[in-house]
Amino acid sequence: MTAAATTHPQPEAASLPVRLLRSEHLVLLLSALYFLALAPFTPGFASVGNLGNLLSTLLPLFVAAMGQTVVLIVGGIDLSATSIIALCSITGAAVASGDQGWLAGSPLAVPAALAAMLAVGGLVGLFNGLAITRFRMPPFIVTLTTMMFFSGLAIWLTRSRNIGQLPAAFNALGGKTWLTLLLCLPLAAGAHFMLSRSVWGRWLYATGHNPRAALVSGVPVAGVVVSAYVVAGLLAAVAAVLYTGQAESGSPVLAQRLLLDIVGATVIGGASLFGGRGRILWTLCGVVFLKLIDNSLNLLDLSHFTIMMVKGGVILLAAMLDALRRRLG
Amino acid sequence: MKHASISALACLLAAAWLAGCGRSDAPAPAPPPAAGSAGPALTIGVSFETLQTGFWVASLDAFKAELGRRNLKMIQAIADGDANRQIEQVKNFITRKVDGIVMVPKDAKACLPVIKAANAAHIPIVLFNRPPDKSDAKSTAVVADNFALTKETVTYMIGEARKTGRKHKAMVLIGDLGDINAIGRRDGFEAAVREAPETIEVVARVPTEWNQEKAQAGVVNALQAHPDLSFIFTSSDFLFPSIVSALTGAGKYKKVGEPGHVLLGGFDGDATAWQMLADGYLDATGVQDVYFEVEACVNAILDARAGKPVPEIVKDPGFVIHQGNLKEKSARMWGAKK
Repeated sequence: MTAAATTHPQPEAASLPVRLLRSEHLVLLLSALYFLALAPFTPGFASVGNLGNLLSTLLPLFVAAMGQTVVLIVGGIDLSATSIIALCSITGAAVASGDQGWLAGSPLAVPAALAAMLAVGGLVGLFNGLAITRFRMPPFIVTLTTMMFFSGLAIWLTRSRNIGQLPAAFNALGGKTWLTLLLCLPLAAGAHFMLSRSVWGRWLYATGHNPRAALVSGVPVAGVVVSAYVVAGLLAAVAAVLYTGQAESGSPVLAQRLLLDIVGATVIGGASLFGGRGRILWTLCGVVFLKLIDNSLNLLDLSHFTIMMVKGGVILLAAMLDALRRRLG
Repeated sequence: MKHASISALACLLAAAWLAGCGRSDAPAPAPPPAAGSAGPALTIGVSFETLQTGFWVASLDAFKAELGRRNLKMIQAIADGDANRQIEQVKNFITRKVDGIVMVPKDAKACLPVIKAANAAHIPIVLFNRPPDKSDAKSTAVVADNFALTKETVTYMIGEARKTGRKHKAMVLIGDLGDINAIGRRDGFEAAVREAPETIEVVARVPTEWNQEKAQAGVVNALQAHPDLSFIFTSSDFLFPSIVSALTGAGKYKKVGEPGHVLLGGFDGDATAWQMLADGYLDATGVQDVYFEVEACVNAILDARAGKPVPEIVKDPGFVIHQGNLKEKSARMWGAKK
């Protein structure tokens, strides 16, 4: 049994709506109902091709949202995820590009690019974690400012220009759905295992629930927080690999508009903005639900503004549900 | 219950995986029937990167009108400035088997995967207003001649500057240099001023990245550094509110012909530029002929479907509108439409 699952015993006489609200499976149920309800009326929604598209765009978001989940569990938030993705994107492209890459044409180009992207993601995460723990700064401010700084840095380094001519092997990581899935599955399984079965996972939940109590209990709180941000940075770097491969180019503004989706999907899945609650499987459900909404509204040919309003409304509803769940205990 | 939900999610993902794997290896659909053959109305997918400025809104409206006029069905998708979202949306068009795709790409490189996907599905694809990078992917791009139209506009402004009999200090607001249109406009400006060193000295080049706040900060800074600045060209009319705000703050926003007037020029032909022209504050702007470009896009799709040769680039010559030809040209200026 995980720390998240041990939160509160359920009263036996709770009504159905209350039980549903508390249920871990609410979002999955909503996703299934939404899919079944809209499939007959939405052209191409249930088609094989569309489901393939859905999966290929869902996976990078899932990877980024996994990182956000880890940070939310520990009671933080990572607003710099999108700038990490952008910075990693141009770093990888700068190494591997056949046009102007540092290792253009070399067989080491792709592995070196991947290593460089992971290193950049991990280092930015480390910086976030150290700033939060050493200087006791609020995660919101730290990651907001690093988002601004690293977004600006990415644009400055590239002079706003995209970097193309990436090796086919690199593009395949994000462009071939089966390969993306093969990359994401062990990553998700590993993250799930680490959160639910490892000591580190228990420390994360304990820190998120009550850092003081965790510290008294012997949890190395500062180290746990730093490690959560490093993991989030590494996962943002993996998301950058997938997004860059999809677009076949490194972009300094890659994922610039994705923050709402990353945080939103995580919160919709059930991770708490107050810390101490969240699971990889829940986040997957949140990502699936958000992408189903996005995809179906597009297929229904609704205007951009309507789609934005609906998505914003759904995320707001999820945040309200989170607050309600806490009140219900 | 827990295991049941995990199983359900696994089934959903497995179905999607099979779909995803099958998709990449699936044979391309047969080429579409030739245009003109009897059948249901053709469906055109229109994907815009953004609706951030009046130009894009007017262009989308023009597509709705043009496709409606030809009894073609339009489905639309707006990517909100996200290249990956645009890839997803255009792939949605392809899975819905649209008969043609019009796309305003986020950038010249990230659009290449979807052009290739459209090629593989034998769906004609036309890029509106922004050309793709060089590649083996086949598409048609309908673009304004940014360089020539900017050069013509700035040359007109230089002519007006010469009439004052003195040398002018100039500022140019440069767009996002990841956008080839911005590069064309910057180069057109530079080419025009290079031919008139006796009249124009460029003292400020403001990078805006198509951002109004950055533009305003840049103009305010330039006006403080060069209070005698008297010649401003913006690479897009949507930045005029920032320029007007900064000029008003400096007490330099005067009508054409008034003492202290700062020569103003722009590019696009939006509603703000039209109002400034009509009110006598703006000297000239290069107008992209939205209606020509939209018509050319639809023609390119129908020609491609009919098997006719379609050029890789269709250039919109546009036109310069200024105080001297306002009445004559306003009917064709998209920003002048109510």
